[in-house]
Amino acid sequence: MSASTSLIVTRLEVVHLTDLVDQFADLVAESSESDPAIDRLTPDPYPDDAEAGAQFRDAARDDLLARRGADAAAVLGDLRTALGRTPPDTSGTDADDIVEIVLDADDVGAWLRTLAAIRLVLASRLGITSEDDRDVDDPRFGVYDWIGYRLEALIQATEPGGQGSGST
Amino acid sequence: MTPLATPDIDERLDLQIVPDLPWETVVWNDPVNLMSYVVRVFTEYFGYSTEKATALMLAVHNEGHAVVSQGVREQMELHAQAMHDYGLWATVRKAAA
Repeated sequence: MSASTSLIVTRLEVVHLTDLVDQFADLVAESSESDPAIDRLTPDPYPDDAEAGAQFRDAARDDLLARRGADAAAVLGDLRTALGRTPPDTSGTDADDIVEIVLDADDVGAWLRTLAAIRLVLASRLGITSEDDRDVDDPRFGVYDWIGYRLEALIQATEPGGQGSGST
Repeated sequence: MTPLATPDIDERLDLQIVPDLPWETVVWNDPVNLMSYVVRVFTEYFGYSTEKATALMLAVHNEGHAVVSQGVREQMELHAQAMHDYGLWATVRKAAA
């Protein structure tokens, strides 16, 4: 029986995260050639050798984006399961209601890779080119930071050799 | 019928012992990925100890890049692909002689 990990989040976070992962899944499915975020997700392993790079990318790019799509689908499955399990509340659902997202060990990788990828896409959209880039007036940096916190928490909750079942 | 020419044994041996320069997978620094995430990728994918993974991550962070593996080209390409699966930026190159 694989150890499971729990993410304890608010309902609002689940809804927001579902939307982000949905958008990400659409992005990798479209895999637009002219999207810098897609470029960042499919880097060239031979930047100094145009021919070798082109050969590699033709073969690898679609596979890579398909794996991204599969990871995103796994994350969306966990998110939807979590929302579905939230008991209907006679007093009406509240954005601050606590929701538990259960990840079994097989899904942790998909979550880590997807959260990391969403940060890469956000960073591309935000024009982040250095670790200090920050526009305090742009609310999207808040989203970028929030995903970073969730990713960090998930990494810590799934430290090998730690407790069998972690929760963040 | 003309006799079949056979290559000189010594010449054949010379050809076979020319070493194939090893190739390497290089991971490059980026302003987005968390240090803890990079360490996790190195331990999980390569099976490196936390100590080695952390040292590699710090080399990437401080020096801009680090060699994470060496070997035959096909294997280095596989590793680069795997790094890309995790959102890291990796390239493949011939190891310096």
